[in-house]
Amino acid sequence: MSLLEIKNVSKIYGNLHALDNVSLNVDAGEWVAIMGPSGSGKSTMMNIIGCMDKPSRGEVLLDGKDISKESAKRLTEIRRDKIGLIFQQFHLVNYLTAVENVMVAQYYHSLPDEKEALEALERVGLADRAKHLPSQLSGGEQQRVCIARALINHPELILADEPTGNLDEANEGIVLELFRLLHREGTTLIVVTHDPEVADVAQRTIVLDHGKLSREIVNENFHD
Amino acid sequence: MFFRMIRGALFRQKGKMLMIAFTIALGASLATAMLNVMMDVGDKVNQELKTYGANITVVPKENSVLDELYEVDGEEIQSAYLREDELGKIKTIFWAFNIVDFSPFIDTTVTLDNGSEVKLTGTWFNHHLDLPTGETLNTGVTNLRNWWDIESGVWLDEQAAGGTQGVMVGTQLAKDAGISAGDTLTVSTRYGKKQLAVVGIYNAGGDEDDQLFSSLDIAQALSNTEGCLSSIEVSALTTPDNELARKAAKDPGSLSIAQYEQWYCTAYVSSICYQIQEVITGSIASPVRQVAESEGAIMDKTELLMILITILSLVGAALGISNLVTASVMERSNEIGLLKAIGAKDSSISGIVLTEIMSTAVIGGVAGYFLGYGFAQIIGQTVFGSAIEMKLMVIPIVAISIIVVTLAGSIPAIRMLLRLRPAEVLHGR
Repeated sequence: MSLLEIKNVSKIYGNLHALDNVSLNVDAGEWVAIMGPSGSGKSTMMNIIGCMDKPSRGEVLLDGKDISKESAKRLTEIRRDKIGLIFQQFHLVNYLTAVENVMVAQYYHSLPDEKEALEALERVGLADRAKHLPSQLSGGEQQRVCIARALINHPELILADEPTGNLDEANEGIVLELFRLLHREGTTLIVVTHDPEVADVAQRTIVLDHGKLSREIVNENFHD
Repeated sequence: MFFRMIRGALFRQKGKMLMIAFTIALGASLATAMLNVMMDVGDKVNQELKTYGANITVVPKENSVLDELYEVDGEEIQSAYLREDELGKIKTIFWAFNIVDFSPFIDTTVTLDNGSEVKLTGTWFNHHLDLPTGETLNTGVTNLRNWWDIESGVWLDEQAAGGTQGVMVGTQLAKDAGISAGDTLTVSTRYGKKQLAVVGIYNAGGDEDDQLFSSLDIAQALSNTEGCLSSIEVSALTTPDNELARKAAKDPGSLSIAQYEQWYCTAYVSSICYQIQEVITGSIASPVRQVAESEGAIMDKTELLMILITILSLVGAALGISNLVTASVMERSNEIGLLKAIGAKDSSISGIVLTEIMSTAVIGGVAGYFLGYGFAQIIGQTVFGSAIEMKLMVIPIVAISIIVVTLAGSIPAIRMLLRLRPAEVLHGR
């Protein structure tokens, strides 16, 4: 069953077609990578799927409901309830500790629960770094805090934008291993990346080029 | 979580928050200083203005009517007098504490040794008075005419040994009659003759330079008017006149009961005059209009100046806060974009930013208040040579001003914050 359906979506900035009539289906529990060079429309696609932007044309159905015409306020609610976001630049609140950064997502979703937030950090192997500020954490650790924050509200969809773009090989391995774990647990993952190694571990890879869907590659060797 | 975020923002970004607190403290201190000075400046300027002489004259009612009818100097047709034994009552009126100084006068004409006739005014110089209230007071023209230039000798002092037998001579008369300090002057009237020691030569810069001033007793003895007074001059701290005071000055009977009470219980020059008339039998007390009006005008202008400085300082603080808060929000655009991305509503983020700023404003405001009180004391000591009284009314005014200024200063930042779109911030678009 499709969790996400993108139908003939275009995003136009003046004369520029950042996305040009793209259609895509993502099933619940699927792990999809979106690849493409710079300027191919990857980030635009992520913003539209992540309810941070609206398409100029076309429909975006999440859980069967069209969200392409929703108000900014409603999109904020959908983002909060259904989507977990992971960024290349981590984007942690620099004056809050690791556990507080996780609790912020709980706070805007429902009620903050420090115990649950600590468990999320434990899942990503950072229980002992919970009271540290982002400036006291390595890049890999910050990205893991970001993953814990994305997971804390049990979202239907995890959307990661270049999650390993700023990480060394060892930390990249840790993050991808966490994605495998999440996938095994049934979480739907959409990972935007330009790194073939990151794309290769997904079930399916969508390749964008100049705003159009140019190829779709199914990973025959996929295993969790 | 809200408070953890506020605490984190305040304590882990001390530099930024201290900067905002410092700006608010500066604005608050200026407002506090100016408001305290403004509220106290009335009394201070009033006190200063009292050094320029009396602002109320009291004369016998009968003479006043004759003056008005014939437009002549009352001295020439003096037929009624005020009573000396009632003088102390002036310090028993409702506004007794506003009576700074007063002095009685009795005028007569005396003949000098050389046969010339000159005016002699008997008055108090430094008179000790035991009031009916049990208080004591030293009052007289030494205070009321403190601009007199004593060219030689000293002020007459009736409390000094032999002081009551002295006389002060105007500079013009001294020059014309060849009188010097230390001389003995013989003055006579049809009621008697007195040998008076010239204790000082004064320069008053007016008609008084052609006459003599002696103690009250001497002049009364020479004019056979013991216990009688020609006039009383009073220096009182007054509130500038308004419409009510002007209406009352024309006819207190025209006021309603409420207006009458308000007028009577306000230190308008007209209400003080009215109260003096109530205690001095057969008297008419009238303001020296020129002095009273000048005092009112000076005070109005001084207060207006202070209000303008206060408003300008608050506007300056608002602009400073606005710049700092806007810069702070711009610096934190990534963080705000992130919070929006993970589901924070605009109202939640505005709430956090405003709470942070208002908490900082409270710290800055309290520090600014005490700093401002210090500034007010410096202004008080430098300008008036005395402390500025702490006015409780300033606290709520400064608190409300700081809240308004901080909110107004935060509006551009909040508007910018509401316009931020997470996609643009997080992807730098």
